[in-house]
Amino acid sequence: MKTWALIVDTWREALARYTLLGFLAVSSLFLLVLTFALNLDIVDGALAAGTLFGKAFEVPGKGPAIATVVATGQSVFAAMLYVLGVFLAVFATGSQVPNLQHRGTVDLYVTRPISRTHLLLGRFLGAVTLVTANLLFLCGGVFVIISAKTHVWNPRFLVAIAPILLVFLSFLGFMYLIGVATSSTPLSIMLPYALYLLSVPLAAHDRIAAAMDSRLGAGAVQVLYWILPKTAEIGRDLTGYVLGKTTPAALPLATTAAFGAVCLGAAVVAFNRKNF
Amino acid sequence: MVSRDVPAQGAGRSRGPAGSPENKAIAADVYAGVDTDAAAIAVSGLGKEYRHGRRRLRALDGVNLAVGRGEVFGLLGANGAGKTTLVKVLLGLARPTSGEVRVRGRDPRRAAARRRIGYLPEGHRFPGYLTGEAALRLFGRLAGVAEGTLDQRIPELLDLVGLAGRGGDRMGRYSKGMTQRLGLAGALLDEPEILFLDEPTDGVDPVGRRRIRDVLLATRRRGTTIFINSHLLSEVERTCDRVAILHQGRVVREGTVADLTTPALRYRVRLGEGQSAAPERLAGEGLAVVSGNGSLEVEVADLAALNRLVDRLRADHLLIAEVSPLRAALEDVFIEVLEGEARAAGVSDHGPLTTDHDPGGGR
Repeated sequence: MKTWALIVDTWREALARYTLLGFLAVSSLFLLVLTFALNLDIVDGALAAGTLFGKAFEVPGKGPAIATVVATGQSVFAAMLYVLGVFLAVFATGSQVPNLQHRGTVDLYVTRPISRTHLLLGRFLGAVTLVTANLLFLCGGVFVIISAKTHVWNPRFLVAIAPILLVFLSFLGFMYLIGVATSSTPLSIMLPYALYLLSVPLAAHDRIAAAMDSRLGAGAVQVLYWILPKTAEIGRDLTGYVLGKTTPAALPLATTAAFGAVCLGAAVVAFNRKNF
Repeated sequence: MVSRDVPAQGAGRSRGPAGSPENKAIAADVYAGVDTDAAAIAVSGLGKEYRHGRRRLRALDGVNLAVGRGEVFGLLGANGAGKTTLVKVLLGLARPTSGEVRVRGRDPRRAAARRRIGYLPEGHRFPGYLTGEAALRLFGRLAGVAEGTLDQRIPELLDLVGLAGRGGDRMGRYSKGMTQRLGLAGALLDEPEILFLDEPTDGVDPVGRRRIRDVLLATRRRGTTIFINSHLLSEVERTCDRVAILHQGRVVREGTVADLTTPALRYRVRLGEGQSAAPERLAGEGLAVVSGNGSLEVEVADLAALNRLVDRLRADHLLIAEVSPLRAALEDVFIEVLEGEARAAGVSDHGPLTTDHDPGGGR
C-alpha cells in the first residue's frame, strides 16, 4: 500500500503541476500533425507508387516496396520520438526529488514508518509508470496512425519503445542522484540533456582519442565513453532495427543501464545518509 | 522529580566529548531512577555537528535526557539552542555524531521504530497540490494505516482540529493556522504513542491555539507521550509536566514545571480588607519587601524570617488574610537560567535576553 501511495502521489503531483498535461498536449499535437501530414496528396502518391494494379509491388529480395517505404518513414519517426520522448520525460520528472526534499515537506515523508530507500524507489516507480504511459501514448499513437494509413503493421516500431524507456530510466537514475545531492530542479534537468548531447561526440571516441596528443586526454575520452550513457549509439541502432537492418547491440544498452543503476544506487545511499 | 542544574554541562567549564567518561557519568545521573528501557525517549551523550565547508557547527553537545511514558515534556531554548536538531535526531531525520538515542527502546532511524509516532514539524509544508483530505490519506497510507481506518479517522480528525468541511480544499488555500491544525491532524493519524510537536502553535491565533491545546490535553489523557518544542513558554507552562532548557546544545536545567517555577523563598502576604503596612517599616534582617502594592511581596532568607514578619504584622494588630508562596512565570526562570549561563561563560553573546512574546498567553 505504501508503494501504491507513492505512485499515486507522483501522478497527482504531475497532474497538479501540469507536467502530465504538458506531456500529453505535446504528444497529442505531434500525433495531430502526423495525421494531417499523412493525408497529404504527396503521401498518397508515394504509397500509390508502391502498388501496381492495387497490389503491393515487390522488390526482388526485399519484399513489398510499400513495406520498405513505411519502415523507412517509421525509422525517421523512431529517431524523432527517441529525442522528443526522452526530452519530454526528463522535463516531466526533473522536479521530483527537489520537490520531495523541500524543507518542511521532506520531514513529513521521512518521519513516517517507511524506509528512505522505499520512499525514493517508490517515487522512482511512480515516475516510471508515468513516463511509460506517456511513451505508450506517443509511440503507440504514431504506430497506429501510420499502420492504419498504410496497412503495414511493423511491430519493430513498437519494440523501439523499450530502448527509449531504457535511456530514460538511466537518465532518471542520474536525475535522482543530482536531485538528492543538490535539490536543484534546473540542474536535474540540464545535466541529463548535457549527457545526451555529449554522447554524440563520444560515439566517435576511438577517432577522438587517436587524434589527441595527450595519453591522459585520450584515456579520459575512453573512460567517459565507457561510463556515460551511449544515447547516440542506441539511437542509431534503434533506427536500424525499425528498418529491419540490424539488431541493437547489447553493449551500449547494458552500459547505459549500468550507468543508471549505479546513479540510482548512489542516490539511495546519499538519501539514506542525508540530514534533513 | 526535582529541578536540577545539569552539573558538568555548565557553560564556561571544560567539557569532555559526548562519549567521554564525564558525560557517561552525567548520563548516569540524569537516568537515576529512570528505567531507560521503559522510557519513551532516552538520550545519552548525544552530540551533533554540522559541517559548513571547513567550518564545524556543534548543534548538540552531550545531551542527556529521559522522558517517561505518558509524560508531557517541554523543550525550551533560545533560537539556535539546538531544539529542532534534537527533535530531528529523535525522529531519525538527522544522524547523531555521537551518543545514543532510543525511542521506545529502539533506534529511530529504523523505519519500524517510527510506527505510531506522530510528528508536527516546524514550518511544515504539505504538498500544495493535495487537498487536506488527500494529504491525510497519503501520509496515513505511508504510516501503514488501513484504508478502512482512514475512511473513518480522517473526517474525525478534521472535525477534531476544526477543519470539518474544508478537507476538500487544496492546501494552497489554507491559512497558516489551518495548515498547522491539519499538520496536527496528520500527526495524530495513526493514534501515536509518542507525539513530537515542533512549535505547534506557531502562527496560530488565540482561538486556534486554544483548540490545539484542548486536542493535546485529550491526547495526553489517552496516555500518549508528548514532546513539545516551543518558544511560547506560557503554552509550555500550561501543557507540560516537565521541561528541559537547552542552551548552546546542552541541557542546562531540567525539572517539573512546578519545581522550576517555585522560587526558594518568595511569598505574598495579603492583609485584611482596608489594612496596609508601610514596606520600609517591615524590612529587616533576612527580609526584603519587594512590593507593597495592595499586598506585600516579600523575599525571605528562611522560614524563620517569614515568621518574624508575621509576628511584626500581628504586633501591629494587622489581620493577615493570606500567606502564599509566589511562583515565577516559566519565562522568568528561562531568562534567569540563560542569563546565568551567559554570566558563567563570561560573555554575554545574547545581549539582553528576550523570548518570543506570547500575545495570547501569560499567567
